[in-house]
Amino acid sequence: MKLASAYRKEMTIAFRGFYFYVEIVIALILLAVLLLAVDEYPEGREKEYAFYDASPAVVDAVFAELIEEGTLVPGEPEELTMKPASFEVADEAAGTSARYSFDEPRAVSARTMLEMDRSTGRKKKTIYLLDSEDDLLRLSFSSGDVGAVIRPGDDGRLYYRYILQGYETERVSNLLYALHAGSLDELGDAMDRQAVRSLGPVDRLDARESAVPLFVTFAGSLMGFFIVMAYLYLDKNEGAIKAIAVTPATVRTYLLSKTLVIMSTVLASSSVIVIPVMGAKPDYLLFYPFLLATTFAFAALGLFVASFFDSMDDAFGALYAIMIAFMLPAFSYLIGSFDPVWLRFFPTYPVLQVFKAVMLGKTDVPYALAVLAAFLVGGAAILLAAEARFKKTLTV
Amino acid sequence: MVSVRNLSHSYGNDGRLAVDDVSFDIGKGETFGFLGPSGAGKSTTQGVLTGLLRLQKGEVTVAGYDLRTVRKERFNKIGVSFEQANVYSKLTALENLRFYADLFDAPTRDPHELLELVGLAGRENDRAGSFSKGMKHRLAFARSMLNYPELWFLDEPTTGLDPAIAAVIKGVIKAEQAKGTTTFLTTHNMYIADELCDRVAFIVDGSIKLVDTPRNLKQRYGKKLVEVEYLRDDGSIAKETLRTVDEGDRERLAGIVRSRDIVTMHSKEATLEEIFIQITGRGLD
Repeated sequence: MKLASAYRKEMTIAFRGFYFYVEIVIALILLAVLLLAVDEYPEGREKEYAFYDASPAVVDAVFAELIEEGTLVPGEPEELTMKPASFEVADEAAGTSARYSFDEPRAVSARTMLEMDRSTGRKKKTIYLLDSEDDLLRLSFSSGDVGAVIRPGDDGRLYYRYILQGYETERVSNLLYALHAGSLDELGDAMDRQAVRSLGPVDRLDARESAVPLFVTFAGSLMGFFIVMAYLYLDKNEGAIKAIAVTPATVRTYLLSKTLVIMSTVLASSSVIVIPVMGAKPDYLLFYPFLLATTFAFAALGLFVASFFDSMDDAFGALYAIMIAFMLPAFSYLIGSFDPVWLRFFPTYPVLQVFKAVMLGKTDVPYALAVLAAFLVGGAAILLAAEARFKKTLTV
Repeated sequence: MVSVRNLSHSYGNDGRLAVDDVSFDIGKGETFGFLGPSGAGKSTTQGVLTGLLRLQKGEVTVAGYDLRTVRKERFNKIGVSFEQANVYSKLTALENLRFYADLFDAPTRDPHELLELVGLAGRENDRAGSFSKGMKHRLAFARSMLNYPELWFLDEPTTGLDPAIAAVIKGVIKAEQAKGTTTFLTTHNMYIADELCDRVAFIVDGSIKLVDTPRNLKQRYGKKLVEVEYLRDDGSIAKETLRTVDEGDRERLAGIVRSRDIVTMHSKEATLEEIFIQITGRGLD
């Protein structure tokens, strides 16, 4: 009864206040951006420079085969300019390095090939075919793009040597090695030794859908973390907390009512984004409980953090630091090759992964439920800690 | 209704006490005034008694509940009116009262009746945020009466209000007194205390200096003076202050009354404020 009344009061205040509409308007803006500005299958802007160390006849034959397969489409020739440059190229395989220095600018006309995505028919990347390895090195160095030297072997196979920038992860290097440079027999043996557990489906989210887990996590759960603090400090400023403290209602009732109103708001704002973009694709029976559980935990954390400060001004430093820290897993989400182990300890990491899987409608349900349970239990523990602190500090 | 023994409270670890070894009792149906300047320890004492501050040292019983054990149900018997007009500005007057009424496990008064009592009839559905400071104060005051409190804490109930509204509030307090409500009145306004309180306590620097009835204090510390203005022979006005306990002054007063035209004459009792200054050596502001 008390909780219901407190929840009703909080919702009334939320509807008449600023923050509720901030959440909904942000959700609508994000929705508009997704629907109007984000292409579902954007054309790839990636470039790759290639030098075929073979006779023109052999090169033409290779490309003719790839064009016939549908993997490549001939593009228009492009003028490329190279500035004077000086750099060092390390050969990891040989353990040697060579210094290159070019004093004169140079312009060349390069043939292009467009690598296509067979499922969408969109361009994945543009391959520039160069006439010399020096040109390849200069262009790869100045643009920061990958370069490849391809040479047909005496055995009739193509051998690849990749020019990377040095900052790529080991995973990328290994992937390229596995794709082209390594022995297929070696790769096969390695694959046979791997224990593979499928955490998610092989389906992929398109570019627009891929943004939804990010928006739901950060515009939903994390906004709840921030807004619950704002609501609490509004009450403190008005002094209304003291008036509640001299009634039989408990601090827990008060904190739960705050948490519930945040959960309701996030439910609405997240639905504004998810339903129009994803349609019937997500597993909603898993999505909504997971959304509510994570929002509950983040709101509880917001209350706990708020218990250490007297005002939003005082709390802003901690609030900002926590929100930035929680956003870090987005780098791993957006850049698949960046996935350090330490990032997995941030609570938003599993949230993003589960939301991504849930959006596909085919997820590892036991894993998702385990994460959900962890957030519920963790959220409850944090809420109890916040309650213990607020019993001492809420009315001071 | 209230028993306080050796209450001390500190806000920090520096050993400075906001309330230092305070003891007093309040009987059922009594109106007890807690008087002192800002920072004297009034609000700290009320904070402990209302449960807003944790009891650190001493023994306190409020409405039959020992404060060493936290029992939220005691608030069903207690009403608290704060100095700050702490209402939800985004809720209407009626919504404010209805929300707080739902938090009690005891019968509550009709919010409409309370709003009428404090002069807010007709403004039930207006948001408190649109109210003047005085109106918000009246709304918060009405809220403190929601649960028919047996023990009523009033913190500066008329401070900052215009005289007409203050008169309304005083009228409500007197009506509740007549019903037998026990009242703990915290104020630095000695006129309000004099008018409403059965007994008063003077608190300065965290310590109670004196507890007595206003009447006894005036009798004990009053100067028993009469101030008289009369016309001289040349038509100008003379003014004299005479002590009624001094034989010579009494004869002088009788002579003036017999032989002169009196312009004004007032018995001049000492006010509580004057007595407070006399006893504590401190003003009230």
